Amino acid sequence: MTTQALITGWLALLVFSFVSTLIAVWPIPAHWQALAGAAILTLAWLKARVILGRYLGLAQAPFWARGFGVSLALFCALLLGLYLIPVML
Amino acid sequence: MSEATVLDELPGDLMMWVLIVSELLVFGAGLAAFLAVRATDPAGFAEAQSFLNRSAAGLNTVILVTSGFLAALALPLREAGRSGISRLALVAASLLGVLFLVIKAVEYSDKSALGIGWDSHPFFTFYYLLTGFHAAHVVAGIVILLLVGWRNAPRNIEVGTAFWHMVDLVWVLLFPVIYLLR
Repeated sequence: MTTQALITGWLALLVFSFVSTLIAVWPIPAHWQALAGAAILTLAWLKARVILGRYLGLAQAPFWARGFGVSLALFCALLLGLYLIPVML
Repeated sequence: MSEATVLDELPGDLMMWVLIVSELLVFGAGLAAFLAVRATDPAGFAEAQSFLNRSAAGLNTVILVTSGFLAALALPLREAGRSGISRLALVAASLLGVLFLVIKAVEYSDKSALGIGWDSHPFFTFYYLLTGFHAAHVVAGIVILLLVGWRNAPRNIEVGTAFWHMVDLVWVLLFPVIYLLR
């Protein structure tokens, strides 16, 4: 992995972390909580993809990057579903 | 003549990837269980969560991803023959790991001062179990980073830092679920 790719990956992680924390501390109306939760979990998925691709080098192994990306997306969708149960009821 | 398989594409050591997937499954099951139990008592979980320090956890996220960045830099530096700077990057990464633990200890201490323990509420049972288990991995990761900084063959650095990135990966999934989802 090139130093440039590592730097952009690190910056992306900082931005995604900042945005997800901002969403969590922002006084969001109750009826927008589900959307905020979905945004936070989407950012978590993006952060995981950056770590896998840039830090762990999967960007150079497209087959495995795709496999991990899809598996993590399904896992985050499961977390979102569980999170939304009380919001939807 | 041997043919390249898809496994050969995988960077680093196969057994490290087996460990990474195992750890993701363990923490993933814990996080799914946390949200499943939360669904039975959302108000109680929200109240318990309000005692957490989101800013400290956010700061710890910055510290850990920066530490991961420094650890990731160590390999290309070593491969470029810049062994001393590579070692420095690994030591700096491990020091940031120590800082993560110090902030975590302050966080636990604050909870303790408020009389909050692992049995105060199911939220805190999961909180201490998941963040405590993660902190144990941080301790192991710090030792591994220092070891590969000492015996700094490129192969050692690649495998050792992969463990540290796994610790990072678990945290970016754990942090939003425990601290941020309201």
